[in-house]
Amino acid sequence: MPMNSSAALQVVMLGLGDEIFALDASLVREIIDPIPATRVAGAPAYLARIVNVRGNVIPLADLRVRFGMAQRENTADTRIIVLEIALDGEPVTVGIIADKVYEVTELSCANAQPTPRVGMRVRPEFVRFIAKWNEEFVTVPDLERILN
Amino acid sequence: MTDNAELIDAFRQEAADLLDALEAALLDLEKAPQNRDLIDTAFRALHTIKGSGAMFGFDQVAAFTHDFESAFDKLRKGTAQPSADLVAVALTAKDYIRALIKNPDSTDAIIGASILADLKQAIEADRTDIVQIEQNGSAPVATSRGWSIDIAFAASSLRNGANPLAMLDELRELGACVATPILDDLPDLPALDPETLFLKWRVELASECAAEAIEDIFIFVRDEMTLQLAPVVEGRESTRASVEAPPQELTLDSAPHVAGETARAHVATAAVGPESATLASDEHRRDGAERRQASRRAEDKSAQTMRVSAERLDQLMDRVGELVIAQARLSQIAASSADLATKAIAEEIERLAAALRDTTMGARMVPIGSLFGRFRRLVHDLSRDLGKPVEFVALGEETELDKTVIERLADPLVHLIRNAIDHGIEEPARRAASGKPAQGRIELSASHVGAQVFICVSDNGAGLDTARIRAKAEEQGLVAPGAALSEQEIHQFLFHPGFSTAKSISALSGRGVGMDVVKQTIESMRGSIDISTKAGEGARITLRLPLTLAIIEGLLVRVGAERYVIPLAAVEECVELSHADQEASRERSFLNIRGELVPYIRLRDMFRADGEPDRHQKVIVTSTGDMRLGLVVDQIIGSHQTVIKSLSKLHANVAMFSGATILGDGGAALILDVAQLLSMGQSQADANLSEAA
Repeated sequence: MPMNSSAALQVVMLGLGDEIFALDASLVREIIDPIPATRVAGAPAYLARIVNVRGNVIPLADLRVRFGMAQRENTADTRIIVLEIALDGEPVTVGIIADKVYEVTELSCANAQPTPRVGMRVRPEFVRFIAKWNEEFVTVPDLERILN
Repeated sequence: MTDNAELIDAFRQEAADLLDALEAALLDLEKAPQNRDLIDTAFRALHTIKGSGAMFGFDQVAAFTHDFESAFDKLRKGTAQPSADLVAVALTAKDYIRALIKNPDSTDAIIGASILADLKQAIEADRTDIVQIEQNGSAPVATSRGWSIDIAFAASSLRNGANPLAMLDELRELGACVATPILDDLPDLPALDPETLFLKWRVELASECAAEAIEDIFIFVRDEMTLQLAPVVEGRESTRASVEAPPQELTLDSAPHVAGETARAHVATAAVGPESATLASDEHRRDGAERRQASRRAEDKSAQTMRVSAERLDQLMDRVGELVIAQARLSQIAASSADLATKAIAEEIERLAAALRDTTMGARMVPIGSLFGRFRRLVHDLSRDLGKPVEFVALGEETELDKTVIERLADPLVHLIRNAIDHGIEEPARRAASGKPAQGRIELSASHVGAQVFICVSDNGAGLDTARIRAKAEEQGLVAPGAALSEQEIHQFLFHPGFSTAKSISALSGRGVGMDVVKQTIESMRGSIDISTKAGEGARITLRLPLTLAIIEGLLVRVGAERYVIPLAAVEECVELSHADQEASRERSFLNIRGELVPYIRLRDMFRADGEPDRHQKVIVTSTGDMRLGLVVDQIIGSHQTVIKSLSKLHANVAMFSGATILGDGGAALILDVAQLLSMGQSQADANLSEAA
């Protein structure tokens, strides 16, 4: 892993389906309640909708589709996490749906585990690394690869 | 450091403007060689580039421009006549200056030297005999031992930013001089306006310089002053040459109607006494140069203008866009409110937001003439290289367009104009054979038509060879031989990538790249292209473009649960889909509109909308160019001021939509790309047709 082993990573912990993921907190612009989204005909299923966030129209990504999970109805816990990621050197703002947002915390990269080749629901190329948090394994996804 | 960089940027910007002005003047000069104003304009541009170039450390620019200027000075003096050759060389020299400014290190001084040699030759070649006599006549003047100079500036010159002091200083650099103020016009103290220049000067200059050197100093104010030069005979000049400046008392003596302290006050207020001239420092001179530029600019544009970076205007437009959206939401809330005060303020804000939007869009509008200017040069050079005399006519240069549209139009227009000269205009011999004047004609015109701008490139050449285009298309397998095609459809092949009917590949065209790029660029701006041609009489290519890329009028419709915006510019009419049509829809998808067949597509199918279709389906008939297509929707909601938001990069491959917008309730709606839908609908209709056959 190209991670600096001594560094701690600020992350946002979120739940998708029954699994817990951690997103690099430096990418997160804001976390908002669900808002009405507009379907985009002809777009890939994981990017099938757009939303208006403060006057900008941004795509709403559904990682559950990308990870092969069942889609769920919105609940009281559902949130949209607005991220700014770099695609080919250009900043791109995108929202992702989270079934639940837990907390902002630090993940020690010393605990990072190599991604196992088998036994994963998520395709290995979508995973940056796996770390341990409160005796649970959490996946740090590689958003650039997932969304491109 | 950054200050310096900013100054250099400012210089580059200014130089670019000046070079454009120079080019325009040179091109006009070719047509009107006797026009003194054009020569002066060109000369002034050169002189300013030289001056500010030296000021900002562009020494090569200053040196080259100096030589260029000296050569040009002969034109100004009338000792040479502008010819086509001279204009051509001068244009090359102008390009060289541009290159020097852009990157002084990567340009070769040898090129500069050879251009200057050409320039000199062109000037010498044009000298007439009469002019030579004139030259001989003025020869003794040029070696005069000294000058008596009468200087009277216009009274308003101080207000215009001229600095007489600095000019007197420059005069001193030519040699020892005595400046005597002439106070005849000095009014009494109450009438003395500190910003009005009442003084005149007589300067005795001990210098063997040429008269031009003196005139050069006053070049920027030459039009609003009188300057009289008289050579000084040797005896008179030697008696006073060494006197540095006349004493203060002298000036008082020559104004006998005022006395003592009052007179001193006059001189001090006017602040142009000769003694202060001797105190002038380098800063003074630099200040003078800057003020001269300022005064020149003031002459150019009497209206008050300022430069604003395009980025700031874009930001402003974004904010206004958001304001319009927020205002729409407010109006919606106010409409459902019973409070009269709320309704009133919502209406007020709606009016203000609309006015602000129009003003902001207006600020982004640029007359298209700035773009047309470039093409005069292109036509000039091409016509020379190809040996086809071509007259270039630009019409509607004052037509205003959004600046982003103008920037993106440059390349497509270059392609179209090149094609017109290379393929359209025939060789002079062929033209003569078909009874046409030898000189071809390219017309570039712009005009407003509704919310669109039409830009036409037309030529009076041979016209498009429809049969050959067709043959070529068949040869390339783009169409089955013998297929029934309208002339319009055949012309569309020109926009096919890699399509070219030119028999040989020239440096200019014939490679088949170009027209497809033109089409792409125009369509990416939501524009369209029409071609019309008459064999033997020429061709006309019309680009239709939206006025602005930021906000459009749209028609808001509903398909299934989603709302969409259709650009109003593309909408021709709305009709109801009759039951008979609805029933028959599985068999065919054509509407009969006043006897014409119009294919239609169901957006519900296209977008895979959920739910039941509405009972009364509506058809919106849209068009691009000559093609029409009906779009079947569930409901027409109404017109909508559409602030265009581009789609995210992540949605780059979504073809049916050109962007998105935000609706009054805060939801997002997609904007249909009618041109795309049309080509998709067309192929669907073609498939239906061939099934039916």
